[in-house]
Amino acid sequence: MNAIEIRNLTKNFGVKQALKGLNMTVPVGSIYGFIGENGSGKSTTEKIICGLIHPNGGSIKLYGREYTDTEVRAKIGVLIESPGCFPNMTVWNNLKLQADNLSIKNSDAEIRKILKLVRMEGAAGNKYKNCSLGMKQRIGIAMALLGNPALLVLDEPINGLDADGMRIMREVLVDIAKSGATIVVSSHILGELEKIATHYGIVRGGKMIAEMTAEELENSCRKFVSVGVAKKDWAKTFLMRKYSNVEEDEQGYIRVYDQTSPEEIVSYLYDNCVIVNEIKTDKIGLEEYYIDLMQGKGAK
Amino acid sequence: MEKTFEANGFTKRLKSILKVDARRLSISPFFYIMVGISLIVPILILVMTKMMDGKVSVDPQTGKETVMKGFEYVWQILGSVSSTATEQSEMNMDIVSMCNIHMMYFAIAVLVCVFVCEDFRSGYAKNLFTVRAKKTDYVVSKTIIGSIAGMCMILAFVLGSIIGGGITNLSFQMVGFNLFNLICSIISKVLLVPIFVSIFLTMSVIGKQKTWLAMCLSLGVGMFLFMIISIASPLDANIMHICLCLAGSAGFAAGMGAVSNLILQKTSLV
Repeated sequence: MNAIEIRNLTKNFGVKQALKGLNMTVPVGSIYGFIGENGSGKSTTEKIICGLIHPNGGSIKLYGREYTDTEVRAKIGVLIESPGCFPNMTVWNNLKLQADNLSIKNSDAEIRKILKLVRMEGAAGNKYKNCSLGMKQRIGIAMALLGNPALLVLDEPINGLDADGMRIMREVLVDIAKSGATIVVSSHILGELEKIATHYGIVRGGKMIAEMTAEELENSCRKFVSVGVAKKDWAKTFLMRKYSNVEEDEQGYIRVYDQTSPEEIVSYLYDNCVIVNEIKTDKIGLEEYYIDLMQGKGAK
Repeated sequence: MEKTFEANGFTKRLKSILKVDARRLSISPFFYIMVGISLIVPILILVMTKMMDGKVSVDPQTGKETVMKGFEYVWQILGSVSSTATEQSEMNMDIVSMCNIHMMYFAIAVLVCVFVCEDFRSGYAKNLFTVRAKKTDYVVSKTIIGSIAGMCMILAFVLGSIIGGGITNLSFQMVGFNLFNLICSIISKVLLVPIFVSIFLTMSVIGKQKTWLAMCLSLGVGMFLFMIISIASPLDANIMHICLCLAGSAGFAAGMGAVSNLILQKTSLV
């Protein structure tokens, strides 16, 4: 069963078409990395899933039921844009309100557990408005986690978090996914997303342009041999004579794509009087894959 | 490990959101400030009108003398007897008819607008509406809690009037009505609150994050119904007035609730 199944979703804001027949499939128990440029329709899709805005067309199923089903909706945790907290209330009272909202029994114990999980147990008595950006983000995540949700929708959850906060967040999300929950997480920090996501959806201009598992992405990512030489231009000229996909990366290394034999490259360059200082095989990551896809290069 | 979904009927949903709103109201300083104002305002009105009572002011241009007239008895601050009970067929626009409990309904507008719009301004509406597909829960809960808050303000005003009357040594006599009528009048005024709260709620869900817009709309629309307060709850009220106010409240709450529900369903909540 799929946790989310969206077909032909459309949404217009006046004359602007934000979603143009978006399809999306999120399997149960997955951590779904939802990627796209600013204004591509990620947040709009997430808001529609959560029932915060209304679509113009298309169908949305959550766990096989209509997205308006009250039972399924009661098990959604959400963090979209900013945490929905009352600024003049304490962190504890904000969480207590959400616990009431979710009809959580023994809510005090649950709140204490969640606060400990996001390392905010010491800030329970602080007013929300006095918390730092990172702390606010953790509170938002704590609110989303209350009530053991079946589906978590997180929009940029690691914004404002420090390195330790990001690590904690990764661990928390992986643990939640292990408990059977499904997580949809959108983020521009693709390096972080790559560490946890099991599935990806890439959206552009209101349409899903690619959906794949982490394994499929791994297989799709171009492999290359990275060569470090003193005479870069000289080596590049020779390599371009023999290989079709050669380019220099930002660090000054020469990349030979779709070529997995470093020995052959070393031998070829040696024959042409170029001494290789450093050589390694690698493949492009999610970030580069995404950029290639956006630039229409085609990552395969 | 697969997640299970529990039954989530209307009663359970309403209970949970009522708990949220009741907790919010109970820890909101603004609510206590408004109740405090409702308690102090009648005391101030009675003290100030007592001080001015009988004073003669002279118009410097025309030289015309005006004798300032205050309240004759305490209960006048809660309204007047119905026009059918007196020979008076026109409404007086003097301090006695203007500075009374009826202006509290405008203060209720401020409280309801701030209470509802804060949900949208803070973003808490995202949490509320994500876990509940039916907007009816929200409308019913806000109408109930808003009405309770408004009723507290009306009762605080009544209490303040009694305290003010004691301080100013004003007469507690009942002219043209008795204690039963007075109690019926107060109950009628309390029962009128949901009518106004349901209107203010509708205006607030139109305004959403814009509290100022919600307040302007509430005060504007509320003004049209302002006159019904004195007609529906005169000092010589009886059981019929209570029934009328109850029926009116139920009708308005249902009607305006349906409008609020429709607005929430058709518009963006963030």
